[in-house]
Amino acid sequence: MKKIFALILTFALTLCTLGALTSCGGAKFDENKNISVVTREDGSGTKSAFMEIIGLKGKTDVSGVIVATGTAAVLQEVKGNPLAIGYDSLGYITDEVKVLKVDGVEPTLENIKNGSYKISRPLNVVYQESKVASEVNTAFLTFLQSSDAQTIISDNGYVSTKEGAVAYTVVPGLTGEIAISGSTSLKPLMEKLAAKFEEMQSGVSVTVGGGGSGTGYNDAKNGVSDFGMISEAFNSSKADNCTYYEVAKDGIAVIVNKANTFDNISLEDLKNIYNVEAGDSAIKTWAGVSK
Amino acid sequence: MRGVFLFSAIFSILALATITIFLLVSGVPFIAKTGFAKFLFGSDWAPLADTPSYGIFPMIVASLYVTALSVIIGIGIGLLTAIALYKFCPKKLVAPIRQMINLLAGIPSVIFGLFGMTIIVPFIRDYISPTGVGYGILSASLVLGIMILPTIVSVSLDSLNSVSNTYYEGALALGATKEQATFKIMLPAAKSGILAGVVLAIGRAIGETMAVIMVIGGSPEMPESLFQSVRTMTANIAMGALELNGDALSALIATGVVLFVFTLILNVSFSLLKKDNSDKVADKIAGKITGKERRGAKK
Repeated sequence: MKKIFALILTFALTLCTLGALTSCGGAKFDENKNISVVTREDGSGTKSAFMEIIGLKGKTDVSGVIVATGTAAVLQEVKGNPLAIGYDSLGYITDEVKVLKVDGVEPTLENIKNGSYKISRPLNVVYQESKVASEVNTAFLTFLQSSDAQTIISDNGYVSTKEGAVAYTVVPGLTGEIAISGSTSLKPLMEKLAAKFEEMQSGVSVTVGGGGSGTGYNDAKNGVSDFGMISEAFNSSKADNCTYYEVAKDGIAVIVNKANTFDNISLEDLKNIYNVEAGDSAIKTWAGVSK
Repeated sequence: MRGVFLFSAIFSILALATITIFLLVSGVPFIAKTGFAKFLFGSDWAPLADTPSYGIFPMIVASLYVTALSVIIGIGIGLLTAIALYKFCPKKLVAPIRQMINLLAGIPSVIFGLFGMTIIVPFIRDYISPTGVGYGILSASLVLGIMILPTIVSVSLDSLNSVSNTYYEGALALGATKEQATFKIMLPAAKSGILAGVVLAIGRAIGETMAVIMVIGGSPEMPESLFQSVRTMTANIAMGALELNGDALSALIATGVVLFVFTLILNVSFSLLKKDNSDKVADKIAGKITGKERRGAKK
């Protein structure tokens, strides 16, 4: 009995070790296997923007979808899964995944600005007018419109939409705290902007939190944060006491694993992958995607 | 000073009462509005759709599947571990192994989630899953099975140790092997204690959130396979709680009510089992042994 136990245990351990070792090798891309469709959780600004742009606003998720909570989680999944397709804020993409052209158009800053790349959305901050009455918040809003901010926006892969911005003039002796929260798509950019602002206005501390666009609306509406971040067009019904400012434009990139052999996907195919009501035209495997 | 003690005692009760009232007040009206059957047994979860629907049945089923499978895995490994530590392992190793297993209990659940997401899910996806999906019930159960091991091992070992050693020695004296004595005499004697541990583990498994979210996939559909993205009740609440508002948020709180009822049932059965864990069971076993002796004597 003892020996059998020992044997089984040894066998299991060997199997585990072998498995762990081989899993480093990575699996191959097989276009006859099912596409692993990756999406975001309900309430995500990236998701609602993406679904709206591909014409699936308010539709439920396609069967078998993998829900990744957060931009980083999408990236992580697509990076590791050869069959995955996902979408993520362009400013967030790293070279660990492959970005697809959509209808033959690459998601470059140029193409987003001139509108030829279809999947793009605004990144906004929402705030109560009364909040901006405070000097420190006004200064921050002015800073967001300045050329200093536009430089940071363009340098980080986002599209600056503000024309004729001027340099920010430092307000001497300004002190205070600014709380910002919301969209995880806008958060990395906002952190950089906040750092720059803190550097210029050394008396001010800015905290940037995440939570998603839904949180951004709620926090701004309830006054929890001075500014809420949302990564979709401002919908006044979600925060009726607030107004908004467009910080930048952001493309949503369609990403696949590095092992994937596709370079391009049509908007139509994309829709048929994500559409739960696609019926016969639903695309389930990579072989079904037109080359 | 007495006032302070009293306040402390009341404080936790107050917290429990507040949580219960909050859940009932904000969750139950929503369930009533949606319709009890439609909420509990509806199969469509689409809180943000044009015509929203709030059926959580797939998530209840997923929660139960995940819990059941993880408890099976946990009991399988945990009970054998406890038995190994009980009599089948060099005395010198017992304390360090127990320590390490207890350490496992102290690991934050998000670490288990990370482990599952980066090791278990890709492994299942590439080598085991027939569909190429690594997320799902199997991954979640494996992660949870490991998470509940410490509970099962320590409770089982404690209840084995609490059974009088004379039974064991008696069995050996009657010619039983070590295995027979352990499995036929000691395990049944410790049964109710072990069962209580299992119920505790079930409670942990059904309520675990973070680790599950990271390996379950998250699609709110009916589980049909072990390798399919599904969503548990806990995952449903945690995924949406920060982002949704209005009716959708109420639906999440209502999901919380259902979860609360499940854990309540588990806790009640736990305390019932604990109460039962008296010498009563041990006496029964003792009766068995003496019965055997008597039969032996008749021969």
